[in-house]
Amino acid sequence: MVLRAKHIYKSFGKNQVLRDLFLEVAPGSLCGIVGENGSGKSTLLKILVGEWKPGAGTVEISGRLGYCPQQITLFPQLSVDEHFRYFAAAYGVTPMERKDRQAHLLGYFNFEKYLGEKVAHLSGGTAQKLNLSLALLHRPKLLILDEPYSGFDWDTYQRFWGYVSQLREEGCAILVVSHFITEKQVFDQIYEMKYGQLQ
Amino acid sequence: MNMDRLKISFIMTLRMLLRRRIVLLLLGVIPAIFLGIVSLTTSDSPLPFRLASLDEEPVVAIPEEGIHFVFFAVASVGFLLSFLALNLIQKHRHVTRRLVLCGYSPTGLLISKLAALLIFILLVATYVGVLTNLLYEIDHLGWFIFSLVSIGFVYGCYGFLVGSLIRGELEGILLIVLLVNIDVGWLQNPLFYEGAQNQEVIRYLPAYFPSQASLIAAFTDYGISHAIGNAYLYGAGFLLLSLLIYYKTMKTYR
Repeated sequence: MVLRAKHIYKSFGKNQVLRDLFLEVAPGSLCGIVGENGSGKSTLLKILVGEWKPGAGTVEISGRLGYCPQQITLFPQLSVDEHFRYFAAAYGVTPMERKDRQAHLLGYFNFEKYLGEKVAHLSGGTAQKLNLSLALLHRPKLLILDEPYSGFDWDTYQRFWGYVSQLREEGCAILVVSHFITEKQVFDQIYEMKYGQLQ
Repeated sequence: MNMDRLKISFIMTLRMLLRRRIVLLLLGVIPAIFLGIVSLTTSDSPLPFRLASLDEEPVVAIPEEGIHFVFFAVASVGFLLSFLALNLIQKHRHVTRRLVLCGYSPTGLLISKLAALLIFILLVATYVGVLTNLLYEIDHLGWFIFSLVSIGFVYGCYGFLVGSLIRGELEGILLIVLLVNIDVGWLQNPLFYEGAQNQEVIRYLPAYFPSQASLIAAFTDYGISHAIGNAYLYGAGFLLLSLLIYYKTMKTYR
Protein backbone atom coordinates (compact mmCIF):
# COMPACT_ATOMS: atom_id res chain seq x y z
CA MET A 1 0.00 0.00 0.00
CA VAL A 2 1.23 3.47 -0.83
CA LEU A 3 -1.06 5.06 1.75
CA ARG A 4 -2.33 3.51 4.95
CA ALA A 5 -4.29 5.57 7.48
CA LYS A 6 -5.43 3.65 10.56
CA HIS A 7 -7.75 4.53 13.44
CA ILE A 8 -7.72 8.23 12.70
CA TYR A 9 -9.53 10.47 15.16
CA LYS A 10 -9.78 14.22 15.11
CA SER A 11 -11.98 16.56 17.05
CA PHE A 12 -12.26 20.30 17.50
CA GLY A 13 -13.52 20.95 21.01
CA LYS A 14 -16.54 18.72 21.49
CA ASN A 15 -17.11 18.32 17.76
CA GLN A 16 -15.66 14.98 16.68
CA VAL A 17 -14.93 15.26 12.96
CA LEU A 18 -13.14 11.96 12.27
CA ARG A 19 -13.84 8.73 14.18
CA ASP A 20 -11.77 5.61 13.82
CA LEU A 21 -11.24 6.29 10.13
CA PHE A 22 -9.44 3.74 8.00
CA LEU A 23 -8.11 4.23 4.47
CA GLU A 24 -5.76 2.27 2.23
CA VAL A 25 -4.66 3.20 -1.27
CA ALA A 26 -2.82 0.71 -3.48
CA PRO A 27 -0.11 1.66 -6.02
CA GLY A 28 -1.55 2.62 -9.40
CA SER A 29 -5.10 2.95 -8.09
CA LEU A 30 -7.48 5.88 -8.40
CA CYS A 31 -9.57 6.59 -5.31
CA GLY A 32 -12.13 9.24 -4.67
CA ILE A 33 -13.49 10.69 -1.46
CA VAL A 34 -16.76 12.58 -1.66
CA GLY A 35 -18.86 14.18 1.02
CA GLU A 36 -20.96 17.18 1.85
CA ASN A 37 -19.49 20.44 3.02
CA GLY A 38 -18.43 20.09 6.64
CA SER A 39 -18.25 16.29 6.47
CA GLY A 40 -14.55 16.27 7.37
CA LYS A 41 -12.95 15.82 3.92
CA SER A 42 -10.63 18.78 4.33
CA THR A 43 -9.67 17.71 7.84
CA LEU A 44 -8.78 14.23 6.57
CA LEU A 45 -6.81 15.69 3.70
CA LYS A 46 -4.80 17.98 5.97
CA ILE A 47 -3.97 15.01 8.17
CA LEU A 48 -2.98 12.82 5.20
CA VAL A 49 -0.59 15.41 3.75
CA GLY A 50 0.89 16.13 7.18
CA GLU A 51 -0.44 19.62 7.70
CA TRP A 52 -2.34 18.65 10.85
CA LYS A 53 -1.67 16.06 13.51
CA PRO A 54 -4.40 13.48 14.09
CA GLY A 55 -5.90 13.28 17.59
CA ALA A 56 -5.11 9.57 17.44
CA GLY A 57 -4.10 7.06 14.78
CA THR A 58 -1.32 6.76 12.23
CA VAL A 59 -0.72 7.74 8.62
CA GLU A 60 1.91 5.85 6.63
CA ILE A 61 2.94 6.99 3.16
CA SER A 62 5.57 5.07 1.24
CA GLY A 63 7.27 7.07 -1.49
CA ARG A 64 7.05 10.65 -2.66
CA LEU A 65 3.85 12.57 -2.04
CA GLY A 66 2.46 15.12 -4.47
CA TYR A 67 -0.24 17.43 -3.16
CA CYS A 68 -2.29 19.87 -5.18
CA PRO A 69 -4.34 22.21 -2.97
CA GLN A 70 -7.75 23.43 -4.06
CA GLN A 71 -6.79 27.10 -3.96
CA ILE A 72 -4.10 28.42 -6.25
CA THR A 73 -1.15 28.36 -3.85
CA LEU A 74 1.54 30.34 -5.64
CA PHE A 75 3.64 33.48 -5.19
CA PRO A 76 2.16 36.31 -7.34
CA GLN A 77 5.54 38.06 -7.81
CA LEU A 78 7.38 34.98 -9.07
CA SER A 79 7.32 33.67 -12.63
CA VAL A 80 6.28 30.18 -13.78
CA ASP A 81 9.95 29.26 -14.26
CA GLU A 82 10.87 30.52 -10.79
CA HIS A 83 8.11 28.43 -9.25
CA PHE A 84 9.50 25.31 -10.90
CA ARG A 85 12.97 26.16 -9.54
CA TYR A 86 11.70 26.90 -6.03
CA PHE A 87 9.61 23.75 -5.76
CA ALA A 88 12.31 21.60 -7.35
CA ALA A 89 14.63 22.77 -4.56
CA ALA A 90 11.97 21.86 -1.99
CA TYR A 91 11.61 18.35 -3.43
CA GLY A 92 15.36 17.90 -3.85
CA VAL A 93 15.03 17.46 -7.64
CA THR A 94 18.33 18.02 -9.48
CA PRO A 95 18.53 20.92 -12.00
CA MET A 96 18.86 18.50 -14.96
CA GLU A 97 15.87 16.47 -13.89
CA ARG A 98 13.91 19.64 -13.20
CA LYS A 99 14.53 20.95 -16.71
CA ASP A 100 13.25 17.70 -18.24
CA ARG A 101 10.18 17.49 -16.02
CA GLN A 102 9.43 21.18 -16.42
CA ALA A 103 9.58 20.97 -20.23
CA HIS A 104 7.36 17.88 -20.19
CA LEU A 105 4.71 19.41 -17.92
CA LEU A 106 4.73 22.78 -19.71
CA GLY A 107 4.28 20.98 -23.02
CA TYR A 108 1.67 18.52 -21.83
CA PHE A 109 -0.54 21.16 -20.19
CA ASN A 110 0.18 23.59 -23.00
CA PHE A 111 1.43 26.64 -21.11
CA GLU A 112 5.11 26.82 -22.15
CA LYS A 113 4.61 30.30 -23.61
CA TYR A 114 4.01 31.62 -20.07
CA LEU A 115 7.36 30.38 -18.71
CA GLY A 116 8.72 33.86 -17.94
CA GLU A 117 5.38 35.33 -16.92
CA LYS A 118 4.70 36.28 -13.30
CA VAL A 119 1.80 34.46 -11.65
CA ALA A 120 0.06 37.79 -10.99
CA HIS A 121 -0.29 38.18 -14.78
CA LEU A 122 -1.58 34.66 -15.49
CA SER A 123 -5.24 33.74 -16.07
CA GLY A 124 -6.92 31.58 -13.43
CA GLY A 125 -6.78 28.54 -15.71
CA THR A 126 -3.05 28.86 -16.42
CA ALA A 127 -2.30 29.42 -12.73
CA GLN A 128 -4.26 26.24 -11.98
CA LYS A 129 -2.13 24.36 -14.53
CA LEU A 130 0.98 25.53 -12.70
CA ASN A 131 -0.58 24.68 -9.34
CA LEU A 132 -1.11 21.10 -10.54
CA SER A 133 2.24 20.83 -12.37
CA LEU A 134 4.13 21.69 -9.18
CA ALA A 135 2.53 18.69 -7.48
CA LEU A 136 3.75 16.48 -10.35
CA LEU A 137 7.28 17.87 -10.66
CA HIS A 138 9.03 15.17 -8.60
CA ARG A 139 7.17 12.14 -10.06
CA PRO A 140 5.12 11.38 -6.95
CA LYS A 141 4.15 7.86 -5.94
CA LEU A 142 0.99 9.21 -4.35
CA LEU A 143 -0.84 12.22 -5.70
CA ILE A 144 -3.49 13.88 -3.52
CA LEU A 145 -5.77 16.33 -5.29
CA ASP A 146 -8.15 18.62 -3.44
CA GLU A 147 -11.15 19.60 -5.59
CA PRO A 148 -9.09 19.32 -8.77
CA TYR A 149 -11.90 20.26 -11.16
CA SER A 150 -12.48 23.75 -9.85
CA GLY A 151 -10.78 26.31 -12.06
CA PHE A 152 -9.93 23.91 -14.92
CA ASP A 153 -11.05 24.89 -18.39
CA TRP A 154 -12.28 22.12 -20.73
CA ASP A 155 -8.89 21.61 -22.39
CA THR A 156 -7.11 21.28 -19.05
CA TYR A 157 -9.84 18.99 -17.77
CA GLN A 158 -9.29 16.61 -20.71
CA ARG A 159 -5.53 16.77 -20.39
CA PHE A 160 -5.83 16.18 -16.65
CA TRP A 161 -7.62 12.84 -17.19
CA GLY A 162 -5.10 11.91 -19.86
CA TYR A 163 -2.30 12.56 -17.42
CA VAL A 164 -4.05 10.60 -14.68
CA SER A 165 -4.08 7.42 -16.80
CA GLN A 166 -0.42 8.00 -17.71
CA LEU A 167 0.48 8.34 -14.02
CA ARG A 168 -1.43 5.20 -13.10
CA GLU A 169 0.47 3.22 -15.71
CA GLU A 170 3.68 4.41 -14.00
CA GLY A 171 2.37 3.06 -10.68
CA CYS A 172 1.35 6.37 -9.13
CA ALA A 173 -1.70 6.18 -6.87
CA ILE A 174 -4.15 9.08 -7.02
CA LEU A 175 -6.53 10.24 -4.35
CA VAL A 176 -9.16 12.79 -5.36
CA VAL A 177 -11.05 14.62 -2.63
CA SER A 178 -14.08 16.51 -3.85
CA HIS A 179 -17.68 17.38 -3.03
CA PHE A 180 -18.66 15.67 -6.30
CA ILE A 181 -16.93 13.23 -8.61
CA THR A 182 -17.25 13.07 -12.37
CA GLU A 183 -15.94 10.26 -14.60
CA LYS A 184 -16.97 7.75 -11.91
CA GLN A 185 -16.23 4.82 -14.22
CA VAL A 186 -12.47 5.42 -14.13
CA PHE A 187 -12.22 5.25 -10.31
CA ASP A 188 -11.24 2.04 -8.54
CA GLN A 189 -12.96 3.07 -5.33
CA ILE A 190 -15.13 5.98 -4.33
CA TYR A 191 -15.68 6.50 -0.61
CA GLU A 192 -18.28 8.71 0.94
CA MET A 193 -17.34 10.64 4.04
CA LYS A 194 -20.19 10.36 6.53
CA TYR A 195 -20.28 10.65 10.33
CA GLY A 196 -16.50 11.01 10.40
CA GLN A 197 -15.84 7.73 8.60
CA LEU A 198 -15.41 6.53 5.01
CA GLN A 199 -18.25 4.39 3.72
CA MET B 1 20.68 22.29 6.40
CA ASN B 2 20.77 22.16 2.61
CA MET B 3 22.72 25.18 1.25
CA ASP B 4 21.21 24.97 -2.25
CA ARG B 5 17.72 25.16 -0.82
CA LEU B 6 18.73 28.10 1.38
CA LYS B 7 20.28 29.89 -1.58
CA ILE B 8 17.23 29.46 -3.81
CA SER B 9 14.85 30.51 -1.06
CA PHE B 10 16.98 33.59 -0.36
CA ILE B 11 17.09 34.56 -4.05
CA MET B 12 13.34 34.08 -4.49
CA THR B 13 12.52 36.05 -1.32
CA LEU B 14 14.77 38.89 -2.46
CA ARG B 15 13.26 38.88 -5.96
CA MET B 16 9.75 39.05 -4.54
CA LEU B 17 10.70 42.04 -2.39
CA LEU B 18 12.48 43.86 -5.20
CA ARG B 19 9.48 43.41 -7.51
CA ARG B 20 7.17 45.31 -5.19
CA ARG B 21 7.89 48.76 -6.52
CA ILE B 22 5.50 50.63 -4.22
CA VAL B 23 7.26 49.12 -1.20
CA LEU B 24 10.64 50.23 -2.54
CA LEU B 25 9.27 53.68 -3.22
CA LEU B 26 7.87 53.98 0.31
CA LEU B 27 11.17 52.81 1.81
CA GLY B 28 12.76 55.79 0.10
CA VAL B 29 10.01 58.34 0.65
CA ILE B 30 9.00 57.75 4.28
CA PRO B 31 12.39 58.62 5.89
CA ALA B 32 12.62 61.68 3.65
CA ILE B 33 9.20 62.82 4.89
CA PHE B 34 10.13 62.18 8.54
CA LEU B 35 13.38 64.13 8.25
CA GLY B 36 11.76 66.81 6.08
CA ILE B 37 9.20 67.49 8.80
CA VAL B 38 11.98 67.77 11.39
CA SER B 39 13.81 70.20 9.14
CA LEU B 40 10.69 72.36 8.79
CA THR B 41 9.57 72.38 12.40
CA THR B 42 12.55 72.34 14.77
CA SER B 43 14.76 75.19 15.93
CA ASP B 44 18.55 75.28 16.26
CA SER B 45 18.57 76.32 19.94
CA PRO B 46 20.78 73.99 22.00
CA LEU B 47 19.10 71.61 24.43
CA PRO B 48 20.91 69.62 27.12
CA PHE B 49 20.34 65.88 27.64
CA ARG B 50 22.10 62.97 29.31
CA LEU B 51 23.64 59.99 27.53
CA ALA B 52 22.29 57.48 29.98
CA SER B 53 23.93 54.33 28.63
CA LEU B 54 27.46 55.61 29.27
CA ASP B 55 29.03 55.02 32.70
CA GLU B 56 29.73 58.69 33.31
CA GLU B 57 26.26 59.69 32.03
CA PRO B 58 27.66 62.89 30.43
CA VAL B 59 25.31 65.77 29.69
CA VAL B 60 25.63 67.19 26.18
CA ALA B 61 23.96 70.27 24.69
CA ILE B 62 22.97 69.77 21.06
CA PRO B 63 20.76 71.93 18.78
CA GLU B 64 17.15 70.77 18.93
CA GLU B 65 17.07 69.95 15.20
CA GLY B 66 20.16 67.73 15.55
CA ILE B 67 18.55 65.72 18.34
CA HIS B 68 15.37 65.30 16.35
CA PHE B 69 17.12 64.40 13.11
CA VAL B 70 18.86 61.55 14.91
CA PHE B 71 15.73 60.55 16.84
CA PHE B 72 13.57 60.44 13.70
CA ALA B 73 16.27 58.64 11.72
CA VAL B 74 16.19 55.89 14.34
CA ALA B 75 12.38 55.91 14.45
CA SER B 76 11.98 55.66 10.67
CA VAL B 77 14.43 52.75 10.37
CA GLY B 78 12.70 50.94 13.27
CA PHE B 79 9.23 51.49 11.80
CA LEU B 80 10.10 50.48 8.25
CA LEU B 81 12.09 47.37 9.06
CA SER B 82 9.60 46.01 11.58
CA PHE B 83 6.78 46.32 9.04
CA LEU B 84 8.91 44.80 6.30
CA ALA B 85 9.81 41.85 8.53
CA LEU B 86 6.19 41.34 9.54
CA ASN B 87 5.21 41.31 5.89
CA LEU B 88 7.98 38.85 5.00
CA ILE B 89 6.60 36.33 7.48
CA GLN B 90 2.87 36.89 7.07
CA LYS B 91 2.51 37.43 3.33
CA HIS B 92 1.77 34.27 1.31
CA ARG B 93 2.05 32.14 4.42
CA HIS B 94 -0.04 29.40 2.78
CA VAL B 95 2.43 29.15 -0.13
CA THR B 96 5.35 28.98 2.29
CA ARG B 97 3.46 26.25 4.11
CA ARG B 98 3.16 24.36 0.82
CA LEU B 99 6.93 24.62 0.40
CA VAL B 100 7.35 23.09 3.86
CA LEU B 101 5.00 20.25 2.92
CA CYS B 102 7.13 19.72 -0.19
CA GLY B 103 10.35 19.41 1.80
CA TYR B 104 11.65 22.82 2.91
CA SER B 105 12.50 23.17 6.60
CA PRO B 106 10.77 26.04 8.42
CA THR B 107 14.14 27.00 9.93
CA GLY B 108 15.77 27.21 6.50
CA LEU B 109 12.95 29.36 5.18
CA LEU B 110 13.18 31.72 8.15
CA ILE B 111 16.97 32.00 7.75
CA SER B 112 16.59 32.88 4.08
CA LYS B 113 13.97 35.51 4.97
CA LEU B 114 16.36 36.88 7.60
CA ALA B 115 19.16 37.07 5.03
CA ALA B 116 16.88 39.02 2.67
CA LEU B 117 15.85 41.28 5.54
CA LEU B 118 19.50 41.93 6.44
CA ILE B 119 20.14 43.21 2.91
CA PHE B 120 17.26 45.63 3.32
CA ILE B 121 18.43 46.65 6.82
CA LEU B 122 21.83 47.58 5.36
CA LEU B 123 20.29 49.48 2.45
CA VAL B 124 17.74 51.40 4.52
CA ALA B 125 20.21 52.18 7.35
CA THR B 126 22.81 53.47 4.88
CA TYR B 127 20.24 55.53 3.00
CA VAL B 128 18.77 57.08 6.18
CA GLY B 129 22.25 57.64 7.65
CA VAL B 130 23.49 59.47 4.56
CA LEU B 131 20.25 61.46 4.28
CA THR B 132 20.49 62.54 7.93
CA ASN B 133 24.11 63.55 7.40
CA LEU B 134 23.09 65.73 4.46
CA LEU B 135 20.65 67.62 6.69
CA TYR B 136 22.77 67.74 9.85
CA GLU B 137 26.44 66.92 10.12
CA ILE B 138 26.93 63.67 12.03
CA ASP B 139 30.21 63.30 13.97
CA HIS B 140 30.86 59.64 13.12
CA LEU B 141 28.77 58.67 10.11
CA GLY B 142 30.04 55.07 9.87
CA TRP B 143 29.19 54.31 13.50
CA PHE B 144 25.91 56.15 13.13
CA ILE B 145 24.92 53.92 10.19
CA PHE B 146 26.03 50.91 12.23
CA SER B 147 23.72 52.00 15.05
CA LEU B 148 20.86 52.35 12.54
CA VAL B 149 21.60 48.80 11.40
CA SER B 150 21.19 47.73 15.03
CA ILE B 151 17.73 49.32 15.36
CA GLY B 152 16.81 47.71 12.03
CA PHE B 153 17.97 44.34 13.34
CA VAL B 154 16.19 44.65 16.71
CA TYR B 155 12.90 45.80 15.23
CA GLY B 156 13.19 43.52 12.19
CA CYS B 157 13.44 40.57 14.58
CA TYR B 158 10.49 41.96 16.54
CA GLY B 159 8.54 42.02 13.25
CA PHE B 160 9.50 38.37 12.70
CA LEU B 161 8.30 37.52 16.21
CA VAL B 162 4.93 39.23 15.73
CA GLY B 163 4.54 37.67 12.27
CA SER B 164 5.27 34.19 13.64
CA LEU B 165 2.88 34.64 16.52
CA ILE B 166 -0.04 36.43 14.86
CA ARG B 167 -1.72 35.33 11.63
CA GLY B 168 -4.04 38.30 11.16
CA GLU B 169 -2.56 41.18 9.19
CA LEU B 170 -4.36 43.93 11.11
CA GLU B 171 -3.57 42.40 14.51
CA GLY B 172 0.09 42.17 13.49
CA ILE B 173 0.21 45.77 12.33
CA LEU B 174 -1.41 46.96 15.57
CA LEU B 175 1.14 45.08 17.67
CA ILE B 176 3.97 46.61 15.66
CA VAL B 177 2.51 50.09 15.91
CA LEU B 178 1.97 49.69 19.65
CA LEU B 179 5.57 48.91 20.58
CA VAL B 180 7.36 50.89 17.88
CA ASN B 181 5.29 53.96 18.58
CA ILE B 182 5.67 53.84 22.35
CA ASP B 183 9.30 52.76 22.38
CA VAL B 184 11.11 54.22 19.36
CA GLY B 185 8.64 56.98 18.63
CA TRP B 186 8.24 58.34 22.14
CA LEU B 187 10.10 56.99 25.17
CA GLN B 188 13.56 56.91 23.55
CA ASN B 189 13.41 60.59 22.70
CA PRO B 190 16.38 61.86 24.79
CA LEU B 191 14.50 65.00 25.74
CA PHE B 192 11.60 62.96 27.11
CA TYR B 193 13.96 60.51 28.79
CA GLU B 194 15.73 63.34 30.59
CA GLY B 195 12.67 64.18 32.66
CA ALA B 196 10.97 60.78 32.74
CA GLN B 197 10.06 58.94 35.92
CA ASN B 198 10.96 55.27 36.26
CA GLN B 199 13.76 55.49 33.71
CA GLU B 200 14.59 51.85 34.43
CA VAL B 201 11.49 50.84 32.46
CA ILE B 202 12.73 52.74 29.42
CA ARG B 203 16.16 51.08 29.71
CA TYR B 204 14.57 47.65 29.27
CA LEU B 205 12.76 48.50 26.03
CA PRO B 206 14.20 47.19 22.74
CA ALA B 207 15.07 50.55 21.19
CA TYR B 208 17.01 51.84 24.21
CA PHE B 209 20.48 50.63 23.20
CA PRO B 210 20.21 51.36 19.45
CA SER B 211 18.90 54.89 20.21
CA GLN B 212 21.71 55.49 22.67
CA ALA B 213 24.26 54.20 20.17
CA SER B 214 22.90 56.58 17.52
CA LEU B 215 23.06 59.60 19.81
CA ILE B 216 26.59 58.73 20.98
CA ALA B 217 27.84 58.19 17.41
CA ALA B 218 26.12 61.32 16.11
CA PHE B 219 27.26 63.79 18.75
CA THR B 220 30.22 62.48 20.78
CA ASP B 221 33.55 60.67 20.53
CA TYR B 222 32.58 57.94 23.00
CA GLY B 223 32.58 54.33 21.84
CA ILE B 224 29.30 52.57 21.01
CA SER B 225 30.40 48.93 21.30
CA HIS B 226 28.62 48.40 24.65
CA ALA B 227 25.32 49.80 23.41
CA ILE B 228 25.58 48.00 20.05
CA GLY B 229 26.41 44.68 21.74
CA ASN B 230 23.36 44.94 23.98
CA ALA B 231 21.19 45.92 21.02
CA TYR B 232 22.21 42.82 19.06
CA LEU B 233 21.62 40.65 22.13
CA TYR B 234 18.09 42.01 22.33
CA GLY B 235 17.54 41.36 18.62
CA ALA B 236 18.96 37.85 18.93
CA GLY B 237 16.47 37.15 21.72
CA PHE B 238 13.57 38.20 19.49
CA LEU B 239 15.01 36.14 16.65
CA LEU B 240 15.35 33.00 18.74
CA LEU B 241 11.80 33.32 20.02
CA SER B 242 10.43 33.90 16.53
CA LEU B 243 12.39 30.89 15.24
CA LEU B 244 10.86 28.64 17.89
CA ILE B 245 7.33 29.88 17.23
CA TYR B 246 7.75 29.82 13.45
CA TYR B 247 9.05 26.26 13.61
CA LYS B 248 6.15 25.17 15.79
CA THR B 249 3.50 26.75 13.58
CA MET B 250 5.03 25.62 10.27
CA LYS B 251 6.22 22.12 11.09
CA THR B 252 4.59 19.15 9.41
CA TYR B 253 3.57 15.78 10.81
CA ARG B 254 4.91 13.28 8.29
